[in-house]
Amino acid sequence: MKKIFAFVLAVMMILGMTACSGGANYTENNTEFVIGVSGPLTGGAAVYGVAVQNSAQMAVDEINANGGLNGVMFKLIATDDTHDATKVAANYASMLEGGMQASLGTVTTGPALEFKQLSVEDNVFFLTPSASGDAVPEFDNGYQMCFADGNQGKVAAEYVNSLGLSEIGIFYKSDDAYSNGIFEQFKDNLDPSIATVETVFTGEASDFSSQISTLKDCTFIFMPIYYQPASIFMTQAKGIIADNAVYYGCDGFDGLAGQFEDFSVIPQEVSMLSHFDSNATEGMAADYIAKYTENFGTDTLNQFGASAYDCIYAIYNAMKAAIDAGETIDVTISASDLCEILKAQFQGGFSYSGVTGENITWDASGYVAKGAVKYTLKEAN
Amino acid sequence: MNKFNSVKWNHYLNYIVVAAVTVIFAILSLTGFIDSSDKYLLEKIAIAITLAVSLSMVVGFLGELSLGHAGFMCIGAYLGGKTAVILEPMLGEWPALIVSLLVGGAVAAIFGMIIGLPALRLRGDYLAIVTLAFGEIVRSIFMNSSKESFGGSLGLDTPRFNKDILFVVAFIMVLATLAVTQNLIRSKHGRAITAIRDNEIAARATGIDVTKYKLLVFTVSSFFAGIAGVLYSYSNFTVQSTKFSYNYSIEILVMVVLGGMGNINGAIIAAALITFLDVELQTILTGNLAVLQDLIYALILIVLVIYNNAPALKNFREKYNLKAFIRKFKPHNPSKHKDDEAKWDRVPTKIKMDEILSVDFQANSPYTPDKPEKEGK
Amino acid sequence: MEFIETLINGLSIGSTYAMIALGYTMVYGIAKMLNFAHGDVIMVGGYIIYVGLTVSGNPIISFLAAVLSCIILGITIEKVAYRPLRGASPLAVLITAIGVSYLLQSSAQMIFGSAPKMVTIADLGSISFSGLTIPVYVLVTLACSVVIMTALTLFVKYTRTGRAMIAVSEDKGAAQLMGINVNRIIMITFAIGSGLAAFAGLFMLMKSPSLSNTLGAMPGIKAFTAAVIGGIGSIPGAMLGGILMGVVEAISLKIPVIAPYTDAIEFLILIIILLVKPTGILGKKRREKV
Repeated sequence: MKKIFAFVLAVMMILGMTACSGGANYTENNTEFVIGVSGPLTGGAAVYGVAVQNSAQMAVDEINANGGLNGVMFKLIATDDTHDATKVAANYASMLEGGMQASLGTVTTGPALEFKQLSVEDNVFFLTPSASGDAVPEFDNGYQMCFADGNQGKVAAEYVNSLGLSEIGIFYKSDDAYSNGIFEQFKDNLDPSIATVETVFTGEASDFSSQISTLKDCTFIFMPIYYQPASIFMTQAKGIIADNAVYYGCDGFDGLAGQFEDFSVIPQEVSMLSHFDSNATEGMAADYIAKYTENFGTDTLNQFGASAYDCIYAIYNAMKAAIDAGETIDVTISASDLCEILKAQFQGGFSYSGVTGENITWDASGYVAKGAVKYTLKEAN
Repeated sequence: MNKFNSVKWNHYLNYIVVAAVTVIFAILSLTGFIDSSDKYLLEKIAIAITLAVSLSMVVGFLGELSLGHAGFMCIGAYLGGKTAVILEPMLGEWPALIVSLLVGGAVAAIFGMIIGLPALRLRGDYLAIVTLAFGEIVRSIFMNSSKESFGGSLGLDTPRFNKDILFVVAFIMVLATLAVTQNLIRSKHGRAITAIRDNEIAARATGIDVTKYKLLVFTVSSFFAGIAGVLYSYSNFTVQSTKFSYNYSIEILVMVVLGGMGNINGAIIAAALITFLDVELQTILTGNLAVLQDLIYALILIVLVIYNNAPALKNFREKYNLKAFIRKFKPHNPSKHKDDEAKWDRVPTKIKMDEILSVDFQANSPYTPDKPEKEGK
Repeated sequence: MEFIETLINGLSIGSTYAMIALGYTMVYGIAKMLNFAHGDVIMVGGYIIYVGLTVSGNPIISFLAAVLSCIILGITIEKVAYRPLRGASPLAVLITAIGVSYLLQSSAQMIFGSAPKMVTIADLGSISFSGLTIPVYVLVTLACSVVIMTALTLFVKYTRTGRAMIAVSEDKGAAQLMGINVNRIIMITFAIGSGLAAFAGLFMLMKSPSLSNTLGAMPGIKAFTAAVIGGIGSIPGAMLGGILMGVVEAISLKIPVIAPYTDAIEFLILIIILLVKPTGILGKKRREKV
């Protein structure tokens, strides 16, 4: 009997919750522009979500300190999806209820595939800092600030083709969308005369001795993986892989330098193709790094954060440009109306210069167009 | 009137409550009173209930520990989802839904039967680890599938269905699960199953076909886990195999244990409340507070389990609970029960949980410690 | 040649599993409970080593601090979360163990943040002979596992406390009647198990210096699988199971077609072994009685 009673209570609770929602226009009581983001703030991928949250908050605070957009302040809502796509729907709904007008989407690709479907239904604009899957900007309301995976793989392959190597090693994470996405395009665009030695890992493996012995004769190893496993690989490969070898990665490598107290313990050359270098000493990147380090330390300093910082400013600049062009953007503007205005901007020759690139533009399908730079994190010893 | 009174209302209460909830929300949904996120939450709750009730059959009634329930769900989600995507353009929405539910459930059931086979030989923790291993194997296979077949690491794109009706379908599946489970448990087969749980050797000695019943329970239980998987694929835009790790199996197990082993109503309530609480915690604790989610969940879990199970708190529990509270207001009327009235229609549903993980069974012993062979050779 | 190389890689992977599995099997053998939080005690040990290194800079002091803290943590967990449930269902204890696991993981993130920490303990280098290279830490880990395994076996067989442990594992009630303090014995078991977790933490960090709050989660499950393969409760079995798992993993990773399915293959081997020998390789058959 008591169980039935408890169940009825539960139902009442849910009813109580639903009673206050339902088809309302959530933005009509906004006193600030609200931007939402969903990312892994806890769990194994938390370092990326936290970096995005910190940096986006930093950008919002800066904008507000400078008077906001014509006096209207901005507000960031960061929700936690633990890199689990099934948690996105609840986050999305709660952000909408919190008055979200534009969004940074999600931090990682898996959840982004859910987010894009949800946001297209309500026509909510999103510009994701780091969900780099090729399918993420499928609909016209979605844009990326990072390079799409396939694009990175292609550019990396073109670079490798130009080196004139006869054999390269590839080390990637076979159960990861990012790693797989880059790998496939890389493989497709690689000169067929170049022989490849491929080896993989899955899950949260932390012992790469088997993979290292497979790759031990390679002098050029392409690693489209994130920096944490990469740092483990490099540490364990010391003394086994030739000292003059080259480790070449994509934007996932960024943050690697922060992993080692002294990078010179790794004898090999480490370089990457990216839009941001967390060791930058000049330009906007250096300013961003100084400010981030001052507020949050170097622990979570990586390209995810830099990209998120740019996303906030890009949205802010686009809104400003729209107002300059004669649009009216009221603080209570609905997400859908704002989406149309932002889409018109992003498709209409809007360009942005920031931490992760100069004169960044977006093509019709939402992919970013900006310069990818090869950064050499470390020369061979 | 007499006939009306003799109907065992207790047996049907949970159907009535679940059906009432469904009808209420269906009306609310048709009148536009609840929005899509609430519908999604309802689907989630229905899926959780289906999973918890079906797992409850294995853990609560058969007395075997399974840590691979998410694996069966994974099979249902991928195969059912794929079937629906293929069939929808040919057959239309409803037939595709029904066929995919059947396909997802049936394939999961076949695998349930296969996993039931080791259960004939293995007991306790060993079976638990085999089911866990099975779940991880299934996940790994779908994870590494090709892009064309099941989407690989990007996940499978799933079929769509009218969201106003989907949660009603999900709750109808809950009712179906309840109907099959409860009728099975209350039949003579159910008594055979609980007999196996309480003492397998004695059950075998009385002529119960242990093999048959173990396979039956595993098959039925995984069938409904598969159904839950198909609903899951309809409910979400993508099916990503990372979801179906052993952690998810454990989440379902927590619902069953918190609901009270072998207590179907308890499992229903625990599943609904945990799912609800999970979403609430996730949406309330945002930003820098997000890290508190797991902390709060863990603390609630530890405190609840200790409160519910600690032998030292037994007296306290009996003194202060809702039942005792209600009893205070309800006058006890002994004349209602006749002296020789035995309730044969009721299967004992509370079990001594020592026996779930232990290999030794002793009749009539309130406490059965596990006895390995002596360590020395 | 290639085969020997693969074998060495297997030993490298397996030595870690063996080390963790020893802790699992110790607690399971005596207290008869699956301590799902064991992997997270390893993680805590890792963080203590990290803090110790940052504060003192001395690996030995920080390691001793880690052993001590892990023992205290293990005893506390046992006392607060598991002891109240003594006599209740093992399933209830399993659930609290999972609760403790979540608790430790989220506490670690709250205290140390989400970014992985790089912990460099000591670079032991590697030995090369006739074209083969073995990192020294692999040898150290293996040697330590063997020493610990022998010490545990001797301890359980020949000391008063060890024999009391066997008595408790056989029959708690009878052991109590014989004047054994069951609570104390189980507490000691947890202390030893958690101390071993600190060892496992040290060796995991020596191998892969990246430390995060999920350090112990998946290796914990793998090591548990290893312990079951070897026959859970059997101390040499844990060692054997761990090494076997490592070698299987190394071989599977060498074959490109099946490399992505490595985890699945390990679990498949587990199922096959259990079907052939239902209590693991070195596990003892238990009698059933009515």
